[in-house]
Amino acid sequence: MHKYEIAILKAIGSDSITLEELVRKSGLGKDEAMWALEGLSKNGLVRINRKTVENIELSEEGARYAMESMPEEVLLNKISKKPLAIKNLESDEDRIGIIWAKKQSLAIIQNGMLVITEKGKETLRNRSVQYRVLVSLKDDPKSYPEQKAENKEAVDMLKDRKLIVINTKNVIEGIEVTKKGFEETKGLKSDSEIDALNKNIITNGLWKGKKFKAYDVQVPVEREYVPIRHPLRQMMDELRRAYVGMGFVEIDGPIIEPAFRVFDTLFMPQDHPARDMQDTFYLKEPHSIKIDDQEYVERIKEAHVMAWKQDWSRELAEQALLRTHMTNVSGRYVHNIIEDILKHRKSHDLPIKLFSIGRVFRNENIDYKHLADFYQTDGVIIGKKLTLSNLFSTLTDIYASMNVEVKFKPSYFPFVEPGAEVYAYSKNVNEWIEVGGAGVMRSQVTGVERKDISVLAWGLGVERMLMMKDKTLNSISEMYNCGIRWSRERRL
Amino acid sequence: MPTVTINTKYFSNLIGSVEIKKAIDQISKLGVEVAGFDDNEITLEITPNRPDLFCAVGLARSVKNFMHKSKKFRYAIEKTDPELSITVDNKVNEIRPYISAIIVKGMAFSEHALSDVINFTEKICEIHGRGRKRIAIGLHDMNKIRQPLYYGLYTDEKFVPLNEDKEMRYSEVIKNTEKGVKYGNIIQNGRRGYPALKDQEGTLALIPILNSNRTKVTHKTKDLLVDITGTSKYLTNKIAWLIASVFADLGCKVYGVNIKSGAVEEVSPMPDDREISVPLSDISHELGVDLSFNSAISLANKMGYYGVYLNEEIKVHVPEYRLDIIDWQDILEDFAIAYGYDYISAVNVPSSAKGSISEKNTFFSKLSELMVGLGFTEALNTYFTDEESNFKKMRTEEIDHVQLLNPKASTITMMRTSLIPSLLRDFGLSSNEKMPQRFFELDMVFSIDGRKPIEEYNLGAVSIDPKSNFNNIKAVVESLAYALDKNIKFKKFDHPSFIEGRCARIILNDEAVGIFGELHPEVLQNFRIEEPGVAFEISLARLYSDISQL
Repeated sequence: MHKYEIAILKAIGSDSITLEELVRKSGLGKDEAMWALEGLSKNGLVRINRKTVENIELSEEGARYAMESMPEEVLLNKISKKPLAIKNLESDEDRIGIIWAKKQSLAIIQNGMLVITEKGKETLRNRSVQYRVLVSLKDDPKSYPEQKAENKEAVDMLKDRKLIVINTKNVIEGIEVTKKGFEETKGLKSDSEIDALNKNIITNGLWKGKKFKAYDVQVPVEREYVPIRHPLRQMMDELRRAYVGMGFVEIDGPIIEPAFRVFDTLFMPQDHPARDMQDTFYLKEPHSIKIDDQEYVERIKEAHVMAWKQDWSRELAEQALLRTHMTNVSGRYVHNIIEDILKHRKSHDLPIKLFSIGRVFRNENIDYKHLADFYQTDGVIIGKKLTLSNLFSTLTDIYASMNVEVKFKPSYFPFVEPGAEVYAYSKNVNEWIEVGGAGVMRSQVTGVERKDISVLAWGLGVERMLMMKDKTLNSISEMYNCGIRWSRERRL
Repeated sequence: MPTVTINTKYFSNLIGSVEIKKAIDQISKLGVEVAGFDDNEITLEITPNRPDLFCAVGLARSVKNFMHKSKKFRYAIEKTDPELSITVDNKVNEIRPYISAIIVKGMAFSEHALSDVINFTEKICEIHGRGRKRIAIGLHDMNKIRQPLYYGLYTDEKFVPLNEDKEMRYSEVIKNTEKGVKYGNIIQNGRRGYPALKDQEGTLALIPILNSNRTKVTHKTKDLLVDITGTSKYLTNKIAWLIASVFADLGCKVYGVNIKSGAVEEVSPMPDDREISVPLSDISHELGVDLSFNSAISLANKMGYYGVYLNEEIKVHVPEYRLDIIDWQDILEDFAIAYGYDYISAVNVPSSAKGSISEKNTFFSKLSELMVGLGFTEALNTYFTDEESNFKKMRTEEIDHVQLLNPKASTITMMRTSLIPSLLRDFGLSSNEKMPQRFFELDMVFSIDGRKPIEEYNLGAVSIDPKSNFNNIKAVVESLAYALDKNIKFKKFDHPSFIEGRCARIILNDEAVGIFGELHPEVLQNFRIEEPGVAFEISLARLYSDISQL
């Protein structure tokens, strides 16, 4: 008999004992104790009494709701003052909200309008039962049996919604020595087999002529949780390598910019809807950022007045904001390089290929499904007589390196003409999805005639690239602000 | 992107012999996204630069051109009726100076045609008019109007507004009608007077808010007056042409209107004849194919351009209804669309130099791998936060920080100044997971120096572990310093986020570059963390001055 087994039998003694006590009394580790118990129980020397327990925890979605609020509550808030048309409630979280608000009779649909009910109003005042249960369970998972007794309906719904997860576990209630075990314990000695190898055994050759205690290969063990780099960061490194292989040089630039760099230099009229407060984060502090390059300002102003037939305001151009795309970064380089060539007569070897990867910002309602920041990659090629043919070829190559097919549709962005939307297809996603925009930069933006120098430009979503490769990912937002469980669930 | 819904049957009538499925297919080749299509309705998403496609008539026109079923490339206005004129009072100059107008005769409105036209004008007022600020359009039954007309600034007068049965004052319209509330601020709610279009019998429209009921347009209306008011003469004129082209395509006769402003008398809309030339070789080059001039002209026709070949250039006439054509670059795109993006062949761009990853990101990748090797999983967090999470939950005083002016979401007000609060929030999400839990983040934090925004990279890490203590995290910091070959020193430090006596500053060349220690239990509790935790955060910009020079 192995020394662990002996230790175990001695530790149990004559009464039933819990696993924790056994571990403590035997002085063995938990894994060692379990290993020894398996062997003893197989040989009928100990009896292990097991019972099933329910263990509850919140899913990550549930945990998010518990920290913020339920989607139906968010929705009720929206319709608390006046009903809203269903067709205006198209976002994913609105839809989820509608389903659950209806199920709980918190709102009803009348003539295509979503109307709050009395029960809904009460929920707004006192928070929904589901929310309250969720928070209680988050704070004290052990209160599950009471919650189940008191708020059965809400608990069941939380289960249906997968906001709480019930794990049934087979746990050891008690361990006792059998009659046979008592008999065998008498006068037993260990050490006929080697258990843990150690320095002494190896260097002094004590192992010679002895057997090694065998492990039961079926005994379950918990897997190791491997620390990983974030999948999106891994994706970005892969993208960098793809760019570099095609001769691109990486560039970077500021996030906080005057509107000039993000909109005006890209030929976006000052009253363009994309510049609205609705879509762009403007800053209270700092409120504005001075533009120093007077000559550049004059050229951009003139281009705007000529094309858009309206006044151009420097004040609007100096408003501080968070970039909404990465083209402020490429735009700065394009401007500087072209000035170098035209004004300073510096020679550059064309084509120049540049890329950037960085965070961009959109003023969105934030919930567990929508974020206000995400990554984009921008690329430009500055060269001679470049056309759509070159643009399409380059983008096709970038995506080909990730096994993704692309196609192009005509589209409109003020700073490029011709312009295209990029659609991508991968087996994982199994449909064509829009992944970005591209085009040939207008001469109004580059400040040079196209026959002399032409510039290709594109901006693509990085999270989308990862989603095309990894079919376990369903949304952009799940990649951000994740708990450790999400990381532990990732695979290569 | 603007969404336009049109009636399927009506559209089907307009495209004549073209099969509807084929037409839908062609529309998508123009860059219009077909979001829905059934027997009743077609829903389209159209880029805002093409208002001429915001109605069934315009879409039918482009489909027929695209399929060579139509050769209507120019639109003309019949000469004006000398009897009819609009006199403009220069008092409107400061509020809404410009008016254009056309008269449409011989209209036979079906129900669908009327709603198509009305939806069209509404959409233009919304998108190009920026919610009627720049442009507002009014339709009136011409036969109910008694000439001559005046456009001027008036005091608070009375009229019967559209779909009302009793008189209201202008001020009441602004206060008590939906449109008044929505658009009243464009004319400062009448504080400086009310711009209105009037005839001999009174008000035709309170501009840009509501028409009169007297001249209401119904499907029985045969002749119409269309007024376009706005803040840009260029735009009111272009929109007049845009609307004229729609009525012309419906088979009506469109007439101009005399606009008298002081001593100046002009015919509205003013002629809009524009020609643009593009070298044939440039078109061929863009498409990657040798085009004959005949096929180039045929491509131009597909996009609705009349074109001729002259001196090796294709000279096209810009259709009166196109608002988006600034110069030849826009024409070039239309050639590409007509040719078909799918048919443009790929031509590789050879490189003139070797590619490279920025030094900064090369270094960051190595650093991140080091952190993974030390047992930390990489986190990715939003840059947004609020003062509560960034400061209060960390038990720290506020410092100058980048503040958002207009966040839609109530949960964010600022850009984070530190990584540790972001990481702590992540732990709160899965506190039941097996210990230890270790996260690091290498990303940006923001601050303000005077008025200048500062964007910097920090490296932060947190380990939540029942067995963690000060020395464990100190060991991690030491390992990092060794790997980076930095000779750092430690200095005892009191920081409210950490337990007193269990916190230190990281000093490099006499400058504080970071902090580490055991997190204060109140901080842990604030983030709903139930086990002890240790953390460090280092400013990479201070560790590597070259990194801060982006």
